[in-house]
Amino acid sequence: MNFEQFQNQSRLYVIGALEPEEVEEFEKARQKFGKKAEDFIAKCYALHEAFALSLRPAKSSDAIKERLMAMVKAKKET
Amino acid sequence: MAAPAKLKIWRVVRSENRWTNSAAQIKTLNCISGIDLFLTLDFRSHMARSKLSSSTGGSRKKRARVAKPRARPLTTAPTLEPGAPTDFELMKGIQAGDADALSQLYDRYNGILKALILRVIHNEAEADDLLQEIFMEIWNQAKNFSPQKGKPLGWMVTLARRRAIDGLRKKQAYARAEERLQNETEQQPDAWVHNATEDEIMLSDTRVLIRKVISSLPPAQQQAIDLAFFRGMSQREIAAKTNTPLGTVKTRLELGLKKIYDGLKDLRDEL
Repeated sequence: MNFEQFQNQSRLYVIGALEPEEVEEFEKARQKFGKKAEDFIAKCYALHEAFALSLRPAKSSDAIKERLMAMVKAKKET
Repeated sequence: MAAPAKLKIWRVVRSENRWTNSAAQIKTLNCISGIDLFLTLDFRSHMARSKLSSSTGGSRKKRARVAKPRARPLTTAPTLEPGAPTDFELMKGIQAGDADALSQLYDRYNGILKALILRVIHNEAEADDLLQEIFMEIWNQAKNFSPQKGKPLGWMVTLARRRAIDGLRKKQAYARAEERLQNETEQQPDAWVHNATEDEIMLSDTRVLIRKVISSLPPAQQQAIDLAFFRGMSQREIAAKTNTPLGTVKTRLELGLKKIYDGLKDLRDEL
C-alpha cells in the first residue's frame, strides 16, 4: 500500500467503514508509515468531527445532567 | 458597510431556499433514499462560530455575500469565555476525578452529542438515556484519552457514535428508525431555516458553505457516506442495501470522503 492508498483508507477508517480484512492491512501500513500516518489519521478525525458538528445541537433535559452528576458522585463515594 | 441584521437574515434564508429549491439532485436523493443528512446539515453554535476569525482582509466580497460575522477554523471547539478551561484541561480534570470538569464538558458538548445520537436512533427518550450513559462512559474511560491521539471532541464523538450505533443494532430498530427518518424528512426538511434565530442564521453561513461542498457530490456518494457514518454500515452492508457492487461502494466512499476532506480544506483556506 502506498501513502496515497493509505490516505484513502484512513478516511474510511475514521468513519468505521473498513472491512475487517482491510483493517488488518491498514494497521500494517499504519505502522510502516509511522508518524506521517498518525498525523494524517488525526486530520481525518477532523472530518469525522465535522459530520457531528454539522448537526443542529439538540436540547436535552436538565434531569439528564442531574442524574449524571448524581451517578458520578455516587461512584466517587464508593 | 455591513448589511443590517434583517438584510443579512434575508440573504441567508434566500440563499438557503435557492439551494434547496434548485438542487434537484439533492431532492432526488432525498426521495430515493430518505436520507436527509445533507439537507439538514446545521452548522450552528460551534460550527458557526468556526471559521471566520482566521480570515484576514482580501475576501470581503465573499464574506459580504454570505454574511458571516464570526467564525473559527472548521471543526474547532466552541468559543470559550476568557479564562475558561480548554477541552484538554477539562479532560485532565476528569482524569483526576474532578466532577466539575465533567459538568463543564457536559454543558459544552451535550447538544452536539445528543444531535449525533438522535441522528442515529431517532428517539428522543432513548437519546437522552444514551447521552447520560455516554457521559458516564467519558467519566469512566477518561484515563484512556490521550491528547497525542487527537482532540477531546473527536474522542467523544467517536465514543458517542459507536454507542449510538450499538444501541441501534441491539434494538434491531433499523426499520423503525428508517420509517421515522423518512417521515421526519418529508415533514420538515428545512424547518431550521424558518425557525432559526438570528444567531443561528449567522452561524449557518458556514453550514451553507459546507452544504455547497457536500451537495457537489453525486447523490450516490452522499448516500454511501450517510449510511456509513450515521448508520454504521460496513461496505458490504451498504452494497446489500443499495444493491450495488462492493467495489462500487468502496469507490463511492473513497471519492466522496476525499472530496469533502479536500473541500473543507479549501474552505479553510478561503476563509
